[in-house]
Amino acid sequence: MKESSLSMTWRMILLAFLLPPLFILALDITFYGSFKGIDSGVTFTRFANATLTAYTLCSLFLLGNLFFYGESRNRPLAPLVGMIFATLLGILSTWFFIGQGPMLLEDNGSVRAQAIYNIVHMFVSSGAIFLAVCVALGVTFSAITSQKPRSDFDLEEE
Amino acid sequence: MNIQGFVDSMDEMLKAFLLFWLPIAMVPLGLWFSMSSRSKSTTTNGRFLAFFGIILICLSTWTVPSSPSTAAGHLLGAIIGPCMLIIIGIYLISFSGNVPVGKLPRSDRRLGVLMSGAGFVWLAGMHWWILTPQLSPDEVNPYWYVFWPTFILLTSCLASCSAVTLLTLGDRRRAESNAMFFVSVLSMIILLLGLNIDGPLVQADDFRENLWLAVADMAGIAAGSLLSILVFAFVIYTYERSLPPPKTIEPPTALELERVSAVIQHHLGGEEE
Repeated sequence: MKESSLSMTWRMILLAFLLPPLFILALDITFYGSFKGIDSGVTFTRFANATLTAYTLCSLFLLGNLFFYGESRNRPLAPLVGMIFATLLGILSTWFFIGQGPMLLEDNGSVRAQAIYNIVHMFVSSGAIFLAVCVALGVTFSAITSQKPRSDFDLEEE
Repeated sequence: MNIQGFVDSMDEMLKAFLLFWLPIAMVPLGLWFSMSSRSKSTTTNGRFLAFFGIILICLSTWTVPSSPSTAAGHLLGAIIGPCMLIIIGIYLISFSGNVPVGKLPRSDRRLGVLMSGAGFVWLAGMHWWILTPQLSPDEVNPYWYVFWPTFILLTSCLASCSAVTLLTLGDRRRAESNAMFFVSVLSMIILLLGLNIDGPLVQADDFRENLWLAVADMAGIAAGSLLSILVFAFVIYTYERSLPPPKTIEPPTALELERVSAVIQHHLGGEEE
């Protein structure tokens, strides 16, 4: 496949992924003349909290993976220390930004309550994402396996 | 031994730690044990640990009612049934088709369709019928507003993405692509119904507000995860670059090359038939 054609394919796939929310936005603008139900302040707070929490939890997970990476490298300390710093940076920045006041505090009264809420929220969102991925992959696989088997011989005959 | 009295006398923080956060940690730990160990007893213990963790998480809303986080445990208990129905149903449909290994009987296909359909109807009933997860009468579990829009929107996005991928990268996959478009459109219809039709407890305006929060949530998760992966790659790259270059060996001498040629020459060709 040519490079330009491949790049076009990737763009089409990305557009297909973004199509459902764009479609809803287009409908909202058509019928209500505005982005109904979007409070930019609250949405930004959620985005920022999700980013900080995902960064911290994902860094923790990758820190665990470094343990296995070290197995083939005589357990070097340098990358482990580097990743511990990266994870600590995530924890401290989460604590710092939430502590700045109402900017990142949702309906919680303290930094600790908000941090715990963020983690639980992340678990629920991750569960929903996991189930959606399972459904999409599973249905794709089901659609493929439900077709009649093909053989290379048939293709050559055509 | 009076367990209820012991539990009641515990500090709230300790109670939340022991009866909610510890079970949460037990699930990945149990899965890790069950998947990484070769010993049968460790595998069984790991599975039991994960299962026991899930049970404790589901019960946490009653064991630690003072902690708002346990609403997530309540939600898990409410949705685990339909989710398992959907996953097992899709598994049955997939493996009763044309698969080279692990093929299930053809009759399982109908059962799979029935189970997945029942799972989706059950989840839809949580929005538009009396099945909505409630912490107390008329109080909807707040995490339901997180789970449902995220799941339904992402299913629509991924199905649409999969349909276009099958069309553009696949070879003669139009029928499969149409099936994925159907799933995407179906999810979109459920979304549009949710945005416009109130349920007995879930209002359309609340759903709309939480739909955009779910979009922000997914964008944030993608951004945060990518950032941490980039940092991880940077840490590994920096470490690998700081290592001294590996020792190189001398190139082969003329004598060695001659010997190699002789060995190759000896093994080339074959006997005439």
